[in-house]
Amino acid sequence: MFSKKMVLIVGGIVLITVNVILLSVTSKSQSNFGFGRVSLSFVAPFQELVTRSVRFARGIWGHYFILVSVSQENDDLKKSLNHAIEKNNQWHELELANKRLRNLLSFQRSLANRVVAAEVIGKDPSTWFKTVTIDKGKADGLQKGLPVVLPQGIAGQVIEASDHYSKVMLIIDRNSAVDALVQRSRARGIIKGASADQCRFEFVLRKHDVQVGDTVIASGLDGVYPKGLRIGRVSDLSERSSDIFYEITVEPFVDYEKLEEVLVVLRPKIQTFASQQ
Amino acid sequence: MRYGFYIGTCLFLILIQTTILPYFNAFSGIYDLLIPFVIFICICLPIRESLPFVLILGLIMDNLSGSPFGFYLTFYFWLFVGVRWVLKFLRVSNKFLLSFVVVIAVLIENIIVIGTFALSGPDWQLPADAFKNIALPFFWALITGPIFLLGLLALSRRFNIQLNGASPQPNAYG
Repeated sequence: MFSKKMVLIVGGIVLITVNVILLSVTSKSQSNFGFGRVSLSFVAPFQELVTRSVRFARGIWGHYFILVSVSQENDDLKKSLNHAIEKNNQWHELELANKRLRNLLSFQRSLANRVVAAEVIGKDPSTWFKTVTIDKGKADGLQKGLPVVLPQGIAGQVIEASDHYSKVMLIIDRNSAVDALVQRSRARGIIKGASADQCRFEFVLRKHDVQVGDTVIASGLDGVYPKGLRIGRVSDLSERSSDIFYEITVEPFVDYEKLEEVLVVLRPKIQTFASQQ
Repeated sequence: MRYGFYIGTCLFLILIQTTILPYFNAFSGIYDLLIPFVIFICICLPIRESLPFVLILGLIMDNLSGSPFGFYLTFYFWLFVGVRWVLKFLRVSNKFLLSFVVVIAVLIENIIVIGTFALSGPDWQLPADAFKNIALPFFWALITGPIFLLGLLALSRRFNIQLNGASPQPNAYG
């Protein structure tokens, strides 16, 4: 009744239509029908192994050069009998490390909820999407929707968690949205991902006072990120005569290209009546 | 053993792409390394073996990426269909023309990405770095894609010869 060519053409059209409909649904809902955990559990251990090996090799490589330069420096210092300069330098390094560690510790304490430190073990294979894989999962208390932060500011949120690994969507991803405030004037809007190192600050009314250089913080109203966490600094601001909103570009405080360790903020346990008894 | 080679190569490429290359800024705009691999298995394996492989690869990549679920599945499937169709007219021994398949595939992947952005809602916008995301992988694919694909074919041929003591299937290499 129908030729083979006809069946192929109709089959192709049906397949394309179904494909477009499915992509349309998934691009709006971020759902993966439960497949995510399986492949994350399969590939992430290998990613962890490779990442640790690369960092180990980089460490050895870096230390080798540090040793060479220290040796040369030491020779110079011996020749000039100027040990005081070296000691001064060492003290300065220790002071900086001390300050950095205190900063991290006080940041952890400043968060009301318990946090879990995690290491970034893999990055998104596509340049269009900004996600990372971390080495903590459900076994460590992580679940979908938890905020991921750094002392410098917000990193993103957990979008998929397997037993020992999780996928984190960074706030620079185009699917990310954070309810935010300008710290100085309390002007409110939504931070959305724009590119590798920029975010857009949308829906900020022009009647509010916003200036280049203003710090943008999380408002806490989205129910994901704790209020007051820093996001970035307003780097560009423009007004269109026909629009009631500003066009604002925000430069995040976190350097997402160099993301290695992050903190996941856990939700406080809900006290049920049964558990209290 | 043959499947071990394909699975090993695939895992190796995924790991390179997600863990090693991000450490090097020079490779920041490199294209999806699995594109030459999908083309390669379309050439080397019969449909009943290569199609499940391509679909599983798409599922894995979908879950490692922040892309809408089904994006890689869609792209690899249609790349598979396209390459099989092209192979009807093009002999694999015509390496010059075959090399351009990688470049075209990279461009098509970017078009599908933009298509999924458009499907996500009426107020969609192109990312600020869209041009960079299209241009850099294109040039990377233009320079390294053909070498990569031909390298995979040569590696497979050598591997098959060592494994079977003979050349691979005649349909695969024309």
